[in-house]
Amino acid sequence: MSVPVMKVTEMKWPALSLLDKDGIAEFAENLAERYLVFGPVAKGSEYVFAPVGKGEVLELNYHTTILPPKKLLHQPFEVLFSFHEDGIQENIVEQPKQIIFGIHPCDVHAIQILDKAYSVEYEDPYYMNKRKNTLIIALNCSEPAETCFCQSLGTGPFLKDGYDLLLTDIGEAYLVEVGSEAGMELVEAVNLRPAARVALVEKQKVYENARRKFRKRLLTQGLHELLESNFRHPIWEKLKEECLACGSCTMVCPTCFCYNVVDKLDLSLKSGKRTREWDSCMLLEYAQVALGHNFRKDRDARVKQRIYHKLLYYEPQFGTLGCVGCGRCIKTCVKKIDITDVVSRIRGE
Amino acid sequence: MLNPFKPEKAVIREIIHETADTTTYTFSFSEANLQKGFRYHPGQFNMLTIFGIGEAPISISSNNNMDSGVFQHTVRRVGNVTNALAKMKVGDSVGIRGPYGTGWPLNVLEVKNLLLVAGGIGLAPLRPVIQEVMYRRQDFGQVELLYGARTPGELLYTREFEQWRQAGIIVRLTVDAVPEGVTWDGSVGVVTKLFDEMSSEPFDTLVFTCGPEIMMSFVVRGLVNRGFVPEQIYVSLERRMNCGVKKCGKCQIGPKFVCRDGPVFAYAELLTLPEEVLGGVAG
Repeated sequence: MSVPVMKVTEMKWPALSLLDKDGIAEFAENLAERYLVFGPVAKGSEYVFAPVGKGEVLELNYHTTILPPKKLLHQPFEVLFSFHEDGIQENIVEQPKQIIFGIHPCDVHAIQILDKAYSVEYEDPYYMNKRKNTLIIALNCSEPAETCFCQSLGTGPFLKDGYDLLLTDIGEAYLVEVGSEAGMELVEAVNLRPAARVALVEKQKVYENARRKFRKRLLTQGLHELLESNFRHPIWEKLKEECLACGSCTMVCPTCFCYNVVDKLDLSLKSGKRTREWDSCMLLEYAQVALGHNFRKDRDARVKQRIYHKLLYYEPQFGTLGCVGCGRCIKTCVKKIDITDVVSRIRGE
Repeated sequence: MLNPFKPEKAVIREIIHETADTTTYTFSFSEANLQKGFRYHPGQFNMLTIFGIGEAPISISSNNNMDSGVFQHTVRRVGNVTNALAKMKVGDSVGIRGPYGTGWPLNVLEVKNLLLVAGGIGLAPLRPVIQEVMYRRQDFGQVELLYGARTPGELLYTREFEQWRQAGIIVRLTVDAVPEGVTWDGSVGVVTKLFDEMSSEPFDTLVFTCGPEIMMSFVVRGLVNRGFVPEQIYVSLERRMNCGVKKCGKCQIGPKFVCRDGPVFAYAELLTLPEEVLGGVAG
């Protein structure tokens, strides 16, 4: 008889509560006693995901962060194992439980894509170990930034699933929704005011407002056919001249998963570490093999690789588009190359 | 959790110098159970580690059926890892993990006649195919190898050619150039020149080819001109790889991961990719 159990769970999860805005800091501090909590904090005029709860101020009114929260799961630099004369010491340690607090829907979707990339056929133990110990307290977006286009891709501005807790700024407070048992436990550990069902109407208003604020879009209809038939479009020649191949767009991308592997020897020359670090298909050496042959020597080939991978190749690989519309690559590009603009130009708009 | 990135210790049992820059190494895993359970298909590769230098994908040049508790890699000195390996001696150990990738479709498709076209070090992943043919010769019809190298001194496995011929395999050789003072009574020219004298015909034949990408692009074009269709031609591709298990992303061509979906591909499959493969033939 599983029905009553289901009912209890169903009753339990949609329970809505309110978190007062001036109670956020206390809530985060409370969580920080039991978890490593990472959330958006100010850094100059930008925001970054950093540890919170010990004096750091959560800035939930952020637009986007410089680096996506990917860095907490697939680290920019990571030791795979150390080696010495007697053998190998694997660097898979018990991970502390962590919470990503205030993560936007686009970035949650990106993590779901990474989950696929890092578990398909061969599980990546380093990523999965961190992922399994990560809780997600997401924050719906009420103020999309100038560069955002998640709405076009169905990855925002609001989140439907993939969270433990979901916050929505409904004016005087945050509406808190529960998405998992773990999320339920988080809510139970603190005293939150219960919210009336009518709060969902408020949430809907915020959603409708947010939807109207998007200035960028990327039309996905017929995108596959469009890209497949425009591999030799003149735009690639132009981008070849424009792009500096600096790799910034891929470094800030929440779904880029490529890495390079480097062995680092200790001074003894007898022991060392095998490490991996983020790599980029935009860099010259990426596709180079022994004796110097390079399969993507020209910049247009590399520009195309990034855009085609995101918009065309992810789908057969992982069953989803590779872009979540976070806009970081647009914001970071010194030459103002804009993936939404590239697609519109190919469409002849 | 199983760690696919952790290499296992393997010991060099024998070193055979093939040419000035290419060597065949015989390995066995230190752990007997690992070695016992190590099964692979012709055309698969291992990730070979020299600790402190790095890791590189290297095709396996031996065949399981000849299993004597060892496996072989034929390696040309071209990069950091392979140069470091060249300095090692019998008894030294390296790190190995694998086998990875798809092999030649020997056990997948019904194969009757085989045409193998190899250039230089490209013969290494085809040697296990030849060994497979010799192991169960009666299962195959006409088997022909077209093999080219830059000079006669750069031909691999020359000591085995006689054995191959005795097994009824047609072996045709060509070299790009014959240095002064070297005697050579074979053909001179690129490997596709051998198409004019080959015995193989398109009917009921599978083609396996491996060599430099530019060579393979001429091979596939030359064969298509001779009535072969892209569905019967299989190529083994080289790409940069840092993991071998679909994670590091380096080896991607379109949606394909060469490390997992390849390195052996039907030429017909490559023709469906947007990105140019084989010197721009596709796309």
